[in-house]
Amino acid sequence: MFKNWKKTVSIILPGILLMGMLSGCGKGSQKSSSAKNSITISLHQDPPKLDPMLSSAFVDRIVFQNLYDKLVDLDSKGNIIPMLAEKWEISPDGKTYTFHLKKGVKFHDGTEFNAEAVKFNLDRDRQKNSNRKGELSAVAEVKVVDPLTVQIVLSRPYAPLLSQLTDRAGMMVSPAAVKKDGDKFQNNPVGTGPYKFQERKKGNQLVLVKNPDYWKKGYPKTEKLIFKIMTDSNVALVNLKSGQVDMTNRFPLNEVSKYASDSKIGIVNQPGPGFKGIIFNLKDPAFQDKRVRQAINKVIDREAIVKVALFGVGTPGRSALSPTSWAYDAESDKPQAVDVEGAQKLLAAAGKENGFSFTILTDSDPVSQQACQLIQKQLKAINIDMKIQKQDFGTLLDRTQKGDFQMAYMGWSGRTDPDGNFYSWVYSEGTDNFMKYSDPEMDQLLEEGRSLTDQGARKEVYKKVMQKLNEDVPYIYLYHENNVFGLSKAVKGFTPVPDGMIRTLDMTKE
Amino acid sequence: MKIIIKRIAAAIPVLFIVSIMVFLMLQLLPGDPATVILGQEATPEAVEAMREQLGLNQPLLIQYLHWLGNVLQGNLGQSLVDGTSVNDLIAERLPATLELAFGSFLVALLIALPCGILSAARPNTVIDHFCTFISLIGMSIPHFWLGMMCIILFAVELGILPASGYVPFFDDPVENLKTIILPVVATGFRESAVLTRMVRSSMLEVMQSDYIRTAKAKGLGERTILFGHALKNAMIPVITTSGIMLAGLLGGLVITETIFNIPGYGKLIIDSVFNRDFITVQSAILVSAVFVVVVNIAVDILYALVDPRIRLGKEGA
Repeated sequence: MFKNWKKTVSIILPGILLMGMLSGCGKGSQKSSSAKNSITISLHQDPPKLDPMLSSAFVDRIVFQNLYDKLVDLDSKGNIIPMLAEKWEISPDGKTYTFHLKKGVKFHDGTEFNAEAVKFNLDRDRQKNSNRKGELSAVAEVKVVDPLTVQIVLSRPYAPLLSQLTDRAGMMVSPAAVKKDGDKFQNNPVGTGPYKFQERKKGNQLVLVKNPDYWKKGYPKTEKLIFKIMTDSNVALVNLKSGQVDMTNRFPLNEVSKYASDSKIGIVNQPGPGFKGIIFNLKDPAFQDKRVRQAINKVIDREAIVKVALFGVGTPGRSALSPTSWAYDAESDKPQAVDVEGAQKLLAAAGKENGFSFTILTDSDPVSQQACQLIQKQLKAINIDMKIQKQDFGTLLDRTQKGDFQMAYMGWSGRTDPDGNFYSWVYSEGTDNFMKYSDPEMDQLLEEGRSLTDQGARKEVYKKVMQKLNEDVPYIYLYHENNVFGLSKAVKGFTPVPDGMIRTLDMTKE
Repeated sequence: MKIIIKRIAAAIPVLFIVSIMVFLMLQLLPGDPATVILGQEATPEAVEAMREQLGLNQPLLIQYLHWLGNVLQGNLGQSLVDGTSVNDLIAERLPATLELAFGSFLVALLIALPCGILSAARPNTVIDHFCTFISLIGMSIPHFWLGMMCIILFAVELGILPASGYVPFFDDPVENLKTIILPVVATGFRESAVLTRMVRSSMLEVMQSDYIRTAKAKGLGERTILFGHALKNAMIPVITTSGIMLAGLLGGLVITETIFNIPGYGKLIIDSVFNRDFITVQSAILVSAVFVVVVNIAVDILYALVDPRIRLGKEGA
């Protein structure tokens, strides 16, 4: 046995030495681990589904921007601009949209993009198992007029349509590839975008390569795009610092101020289109009285939450709309001081002057937890005892959908059209209306907001919607999360767009 | 040979019970795969259609038997999230996990054996105190912190190693070793702590036994006593601990994998639990149960190799 030991050691030792030598070898090449003609971007989550029809995650959309072109796009101000559709007309009744398509566009598999392909996509997006069905519910029919002209006929005027078409509902996938791959399409995505899918290692990375036949001549400017999955934002930051990653789609909030004037790393920090806040279960006896909800609303200090839980990287607010939205109404979002006395009066009127206790559900994100702890403390001032229960997101979603909760901390990633921030949340049949808020006047306003085509008139409607929500308080809007990107100074050409996506077309690395 | 066959036979019911337990426990989890897959904006109709498509509306027994039947034929099923084969998912994660587990294990042994033996040979000396101190540090420093510090030092400050990630060995062996060395050392250091103590106390005990005294009385050299006589006997409890350790490492290291961004087994299971990807979780846990069983059988064989008494005893029975 003694001899065997010797033998083992004599095998292991050289092995270790070899390992050491090998790891010493490549020292010189270390810094160039992300090559010059490629850009590496870290994502906080592995994109679950690479098919725009099935997608339900925010992070999917970041990857989609490169694989798929959309009928129309957004510019940095949030205006709708041409993409695969060169121009379009809207009929005076707002029910027919005619799109004139770009000529000579090809999918990555070589098949042609034309009006038939648009019809195929929009029909596919409206089938039963599609996650885009709701966004296109107003579409009655898609008509091919000629190979480069397509008409979308609506059953009722639906103003958010164009805005929907700048996102997943407007992304064009190759009909030939879908027919060929069926369910497997999501693992082999084919679009017309500036980059083609090359390979993916689940949970690790996703590699896209330049589409040499891209319709916009001379673009994209970078050969290869690598998305690395880094679930922890601190890990992503360390990789950004060491040069393994050129851009991160998240940034540790507590580090943002430290990098304000860094020589190697830049930060892009802008309010996102979404909102965070708390939902009441209006079926719960504790919250049926509007005055109770108003009282709670009066004592929550949004500024403190943003300052402490988000390290100041966020935008406190009382509105579903972020200041970047064209429909934003400053009047309904006016900051108000904490009003303990007013809240106490409201509670007394509701017969709850001695306070009561309930439980809030929150996801396991540290920011959410800290925000809940702050709210817990703030509610003590009016004798309300709030307990905090932490759940993973799947459980949280399940319980809120089933109505098995009293209050929950939950937000929305937001859409660029105001309808996308209201309709699904506060329409009585809305899919995100976990509050079970139902008000005929509200429903009517929301329908009106969808059907008007004039932007000024729509803005007026959403102003009324927000005023009513501030009065009824089915949901307490707390703040808008900011989109914070970390960028190596070597990367040029990134322009943030209000939808919070990363458009890589102009991006280069020096 | 007999023991091995016996052991394998005993493992089958264990794996069977594990499969039932995992299956039922997942059913107890609140939240349903269809809801999580479709996200918060899904309509009830879409959720229902998805449940039907995924086969979640079938009775539990049918679902279980369907899965088990496939597993027995070597097909671990398809991920509920995107329909990829779980065999592929696991095969993709295995190299990183195996490398991480065996690498950390090796590092742990390389620290624990010399440290443990040295401190047992020279109890209550500076060397002993030093080794005890090292293992105390290993036990008390959270390894995620150690990992982070290693990244900051070697990747950010010195720039000689990549901060994180994983490159498969056969793609690029040099890059592979560079990415794996920090996580392996950080994990191995922690694992070595308990093992060092184990080796030390086990050695000390053996060193005080009668036959060692006899050996000393015979005038044998210290080395011969330590390595030739004491070590083998002291190895039994160390092998047991190492076996448990290795089985644990093979089951995935969620924290190490997260910090060093390694697509390993632990993250696969955790992500699948959060996505309610039941099939993937069930199959992945079953596979790691197989690992545990295999490691245990290996440990039994090692016992027999190290200690003839066990070998003879078993064969006699």
